[in-house]
Amino acid sequence: MSDFSTQLASALPEGSGSGPEWVKTLRQSGAQNFRTHGLPTRKDEAWKYTGLGAMGQNGVQLATGSSSQVSDVSNPKPLAESGCQVDMLDGQFLEQTGNPQPGLTVLPLADALHQGVSGLQNLLESLPGPLSGAGSSFGFSALNTATLDSGVVVHVAAGTDAGRLSLTWSTRGGDAPLLFNSRVCLILEPGAKLELVEQFESMDDNANGSNIVVQAIIEQNAVLHHVRFQQESENAALITRTEIAQHSDSEYAYYGFDLGGGLVRHDVHTSLLGSGAKSGINGAYLLDGNRHVDNHAKVDHVAPGGFSDQYFRGVAGGSGHAVFNTAVCVHPGADESEARQSNANILLSTRAVVHTKPELEIYADEVIASHGATVGQLDELAVFYLRSRGLNEQEARQLLTTAFCQSVSDRLGDPVLGGVISQRMMDVMPDAE
Amino acid sequence: MSTMLKITDLHATVAGKEILKGLSLELEAGEIHAIMGPNGAGKSTLGNILAGREGYEVTQGEILFNGKNLLEMEPEERACEGVFLAFQYPVEIPGVNNTYFLRAALNAQRKYRGEEELDSVGFLRLVREKLEILHIGDELLHRAVNEGFSGGEKKRNEIFQMAVLEPTLAILDETDSGLDIDALKIVAEGVNRLRSKDRGMIVVTHYQRLLDYIVPDKVHVLADGRLVATGGADLALKLEEQGYAWLEDGGIATLGVDSAAQTVNP
Repeated sequence: MSDFSTQLASALPEGSGSGPEWVKTLRQSGAQNFRTHGLPTRKDEAWKYTGLGAMGQNGVQLATGSSSQVSDVSNPKPLAESGCQVDMLDGQFLEQTGNPQPGLTVLPLADALHQGVSGLQNLLESLPGPLSGAGSSFGFSALNTATLDSGVVVHVAAGTDAGRLSLTWSTRGGDAPLLFNSRVCLILEPGAKLELVEQFESMDDNANGSNIVVQAIIEQNAVLHHVRFQQESENAALITRTEIAQHSDSEYAYYGFDLGGGLVRHDVHTSLLGSGAKSGINGAYLLDGNRHVDNHAKVDHVAPGGFSDQYFRGVAGGSGHAVFNTAVCVHPGADESEARQSNANILLSTRAVVHTKPELEIYADEVIASHGATVGQLDELAVFYLRSRGLNEQEARQLLTTAFCQSVSDRLGDPVLGGVISQRMMDVMPDAE
Repeated sequence: MSTMLKITDLHATVAGKEILKGLSLELEAGEIHAIMGPNGAGKSTLGNILAGREGYEVTQGEILFNGKNLLEMEPEERACEGVFLAFQYPVEIPGVNNTYFLRAALNAQRKYRGEEELDSVGFLRLVREKLEILHIGDELLHRAVNEGFSGGEKKRNEIFQMAVLEPTLAILDETDSGLDIDALKIVAEGVNRLRSKDRGMIVVTHYQRLLDYIVPDKVHVLADGRLVATGGADLALKLEEQGYAWLEDGGIATLGVDSAAQTVNP
């Protein structure tokens, strides 16, 4: 284990906290896992290109207990209007505004653990699930479970369209940088519908870290649209994991936008457990400076007739370092599944690096699968074409790179939210060198 | 009339190979010149050099555009000064909306000239007006630039861009290639509508067919990097009848065109 892991392990609370027995047991098992395996290292295949050295060097310490909450902090303004908004500060539930639709329940995690919410125990106990594995690769999840207390629980009753829920995350600068743990649990009953828009923005240039796990169960015919937009400071570390279980004919659509952050790692994993489930995992990442962004997307086709489409676009300039790993596993019996994987990258400088790897395992029959991964430069002929019409070279390159990433925000199918995100991408688009 | 474009003794290489070997040409405002010639003569090279494409190295000679040294300008400066190249192979740009692109281009040019930029309402009004003049529908507006366009749509889009940007010098690089007769007529009609006393045009073409619809003031024959003959519109007809074999068998005299109407370049 690294010194950083040992330091975090020793900072874990001695007891198993408050709440029902099953929660205490869960925390204990998380703590035990973490003490045994620690954080992932480059020896873990899934972490080969992402080192955590920067966090250790920055002196990041585990945040424990509830910090005193200050009232003069305001979270970032939501990207788009929503019926209900929850502000999270330092990993904790700060406030909820707006009017949730009938059938939508939003609670701080600690309250939900005490009160009990239908399906919550099963959901929490499913991580790491049988398909996710254990060991140091899942060290951050173990740490998150060991400190399970802060977060938010969202429950959508059967047949309810809950509209849009905005979840804004920010951290506050302190004396020493801290690592905040938080958990989001989403339970969508059969036929329920929710759009979750997560937004991470640093309020200053602190070097805090966030370790956030999002878990969702999407019951039969339920639909979850999940937008995750992050524009953290270049010092911030953001480690997030999204773990989805999908039942028959359910739909999960993920749209990730990485515009900031110093060290970013996101794992998104969905299991198509029921037949006819659909998932679309989309993302765009834009890097410059010394930023490091690692996305790992995985779809497990467990039941027959499932459909998955992974679509990621990346632009790396400066000394930016992007990692993208897309994996599909079609399990025995998941016949007549269809899986698509597409990743394309543009390098804008000679120092930028992109590692991209598609993985595909098929153990079933009548499967349609396609995959492609490319790393290239801008089409110089297209640059000339735009210049020959009057745009200067910088404008031409910016227009082309933005268009490249905009194919992801277009997939949102929401011109307002997509337009806001597209403009944000244009604002931070790295320059060509 | 004043000389808009003056090309003097232009030599140019592409990938180390000399393509243009002393080309000279003068174009007055209001004129349309056609440049014809066999494959590999350097027709497209001329258009690309005028527009400023990378990879074309001018080793000798000069190009003056309205008295300014064109070769010193970046491609976008040339565009802003009023040079427009209709590409032989228009480039597909996925994700960039045709209308957005064209408005950005027009406003870049207006800004350069010290004119006020057009807002989206003003721009749309202009676009509708141009579409009407060119008799083309608005279906091209909503699509990504040239993406998935048929050959005819791509060429029509070039002419549409030309109509909106209103260049002073337009170079049409084999705009007729790959077009069926109906598409050819639409494109030619568009060009004719843009003909004006202030605008010069160079129509580079392989076939005489286009010149049935766009009647040029002068026809030049480009062979082996030089203009070997210059004449009136009837020169194109002779070329259509007799091909380019005369280039090797004894020169222009064998074509039998009225020698007073043409000059033969030594």
